Amino acid sequence: MRLRADHVAGAFFVAFGLLVLAISGDLPFGDLSLPGSGFMPKILAVLTALFGAVLMMRAGETRPFAALHWNDAKHAALVVAITAAAILLLERLGFATTAVLMIFALLTIIERRRLAPAAAYSLGVVIITYVTFVYVLKTPLEAGPFGF
Amino acid sequence: MDTTLHSLYLGFSVALQPANAWYAFLGCLVGTLVGVLPGIGPLAGISILLPVTFGLNATQAIIMLAGIYYGSQYGGSTTSILMRIPGEASSVMTCVDGYAMAQRGRAGAALCIAAVGSWIGGTFGVLVLTMVAPPLATIAIKFGPPEYTALLVLGLIFLAYMSSTSLIRTLLMACLGLLLGMIGIDNMTGDFRYSFNLAELGDGIGIVPVAVGLFGLGEILSTPSVSAVKDVIAPRLRELLPTRQEWREAALPIGRGTALGFIIGIIPGSAHVISSFLSYALEKRVSRHPERFGKGAVAGVAGPETANNAASTGAFVPLLALGIPTSPITAVLIGALMIHGVQVGPTLVNEHPDVFWGFVASMYVGNVMLLALNLPLVGLFVTVLRIPYAYLYPMIIMFCIVGVYEVNNSIVDVWIMLIMGVLGYALRKFDFDPAPLVLGLVISPILEQSLRQSLIMSNGNYLIFVSRPIALGLLAVSATLLALAGLSFVLKQRDWRARLAAAEAGEAER
Repeated sequence: MRLRADHVAGAFFVAFGLLVLAISGDLPFGDLSLPGSGFMPKILAVLTALFGAVLMMRAGETRPFAALHWNDAKHAALVVAITAAAILLLERLGFATTAVLMIFALLTIIERRRLAPAAAYSLGVVIITYVTFVYVLKTPLEAGPFGF
Repeated sequence: MDTTLHSLYLGFSVALQPANAWYAFLGCLVGTLVGVLPGIGPLAGISILLPVTFGLNATQAIIMLAGIYYGSQYGGSTTSILMRIPGEASSVMTCVDGYAMAQRGRAGAALCIAAVGSWIGGTFGVLVLTMVAPPLATIAIKFGPPEYTALLVLGLIFLAYMSSTSLIRTLLMACLGLLLGMIGIDNMTGDFRYSFNLAELGDGIGIVPVAVGLFGLGEILSTPSVSAVKDVIAPRLRELLPTRQEWREAALPIGRGTALGFIIGIIPGSAHVISSFLSYALEKRVSRHPERFGKGAVAGVAGPETANNAASTGAFVPLLALGIPTSPITAVLIGALMIHGVQVGPTLVNEHPDVFWGFVASMYVGNVMLLALNLPLVGLFVTVLRIPYAYLYPMIIMFCIVGVYEVNNSIVDVWIMLIMGVLGYALRKFDFDPAPLVLGLVISPILEQSLRQSLIMSNGNYLIFVSRPIALGLLAVSATLLALAGLSFVLKQRDWRARLAAAEAGEAER
C-alpha cells in the first residue's frame, strides 16, 4: 500500500484524539443532567479520533506522501529559529534591541543581504515603529535595560 | 423607522466628529495596505494592530478596526488584479479574470469595477444592517441556551458544508479549534483543564496569538522570498474608467453579488471567502458567455468583489444583534470592545447607542473613503507592492510579535503564536484550511456553556433542542445540509463545492 498524505494526517489526528482522552482522565464527564468539565473535551476528542480515522480510510484518493514538497522547509526552520531567539530575548533586551537584532538576522542569515543595508533597514524600521507606537499612538512597548 | 433615522442621525454626529473620521480614514488606509500586501490578511492585520487601539475610546477603536476589516477586502483586489496574487483568501477568484483583464490592458477598468462593486456591496450591506440589526436584537433577547446551541451548531455545519476542502477536513479543524478553546478554567465548575501548571493558560488560549500564528506567521513560513517575486502591472490613471460596455456587463453581477454576499455574510463561517467563490460560480452559470470566464470576464471581477464586501458587512448583523462572532475577524472585534469595557450583544444598541450607531454610520463614511482612496492612490499601492518580499516579511514578523505581546503583556502568548505558526505551515502542507480552527476556538466557550446550560435546564433531556421552535428550525437546516453533503458523498458526485475546490487549487498552482 502506498503511503498517502491523508494517511499521515489522519493518523496524527487519531493519535491526538487518543492523547487528549488520555490526559482528560481526571476531568469528570458528569451525566446529561449535570455535564462535568470533561463532558465536551471527551466528546470532541472522540470525534477528532473518529474523523481522523475516516480521513485515513479515504486517503486513497489523495496525493502520495512522498509527493509533498518540502523545499521551503529550510526557510521555515530558520525563520522559526530566529523568531524563537527573539521571543527569548524580548523581555530581557526590550522591544527595540530585540527587533533590530531579529530583522538584521533574518536579512543577513536567511536572505543573504549585505550587512550595511540590512543594518540600516533594521534600525530604520524599528525606530519608525517605536516612535509611532510610543509617541503617536501612546502604546508603550516592552522596555529593556537601556530604557527602550 | 423614525427611531432608526433618528438613531442614524446620532450615529453620523458621532462618526463625523473629526477624531472619529480620522480613525475611520486611518483604518481604511491601513486596511487597504493590509489587503494589498500578500501574506498578511485581514485577520492577522486586525490582530496585529489591536494594541494600537488601546489608547483610543471604544467608539474610535471599533471604527478603526472595522475600517481595517473592510479596507482589506478592497485592498485584496489590487494585488489580485495587478499581480495575480490574492492579497487575502476572498480575492482568489478575482485573480482569474482580474489579471486576465490587466494583461489585456484593462487593469484600471478592473480596479475601478472592483472598487465600485465593493462600495455598492458594502453600502447596501450597511443599509440592511441599519434596518435589521435593532429589531433582530429585540428578538435575540428571547434566545435561550438551546437556541444559541442550535445556532452555533448550524454555523459549524454550514461552514463544513460550504468549505471548498472537504467536510471531514473542515470538521477536523473545527474540532481542533473547539478543543483548544477548552484549555483553561472551566467557567461552570472552576476545574483547570489542560493548563499544565502554567498560570497564563488559566484564562485559556487567546484568539489573537492563534490567528496571528496561523494566518500571519504560518503564511510567512510557507513563502520563501525567492518564490514571492512577481511582476506588477502598473495601470495608467487615464485608463481607470471602464467603458460603457464594461459597466453594462458589471451591473447585474454587482446586484447579484450584493444580495448573495449579504445573505451569506449573516451565516456563521468564513463568509467573505465563501461568498466570492459562490458569486463566481453563479456568474459563470448565468452568463451567456461562460467561455469568457478565465479570460478576462468583467462579471468574474464584479460579482466576487461585490459579494465579499457585502458579506463582510453582513457578518456584523449577528455580531451586533446576537453578540455571536460568526468569523474569527468578528471575534477579534468583540475582543477589542471587551477590552474597552463594552459587552457586545442584544443590549448593545440600548446600553451604548453612541458606539452602536457611531459604528454603523462610520461604515457609510468608510465605504465612501475607500472608494475615494482606492482609485487615486493606486500608484502608491503599486509602489508598496514593489517592495521586495525579503524586506517585507521581517517587518511583518516584528508586528506579529508586538501585536500578540501587547494584548496581555504575556510572553506565553508569543510562544503560542510561534507554535501556531508552525502548525499553520504543516496544515497548509496537508491541504487543511485553518479558518474553521479559529472559528472553533472562538465559539468554543459559548457553545460549551449553552449546551451544558440547556442540558441542566431540561434535567438531561436532549429533546429540549427539538421542543423549541427556533432551535428545531435551526437544527432542521443543519440536518438538511448534512444530508445533502452525505448524498453527494454516497453518490460520489462532483458537486459545485468540488468544482470550486478544483478551481481554487488550480489557481493556487499557477
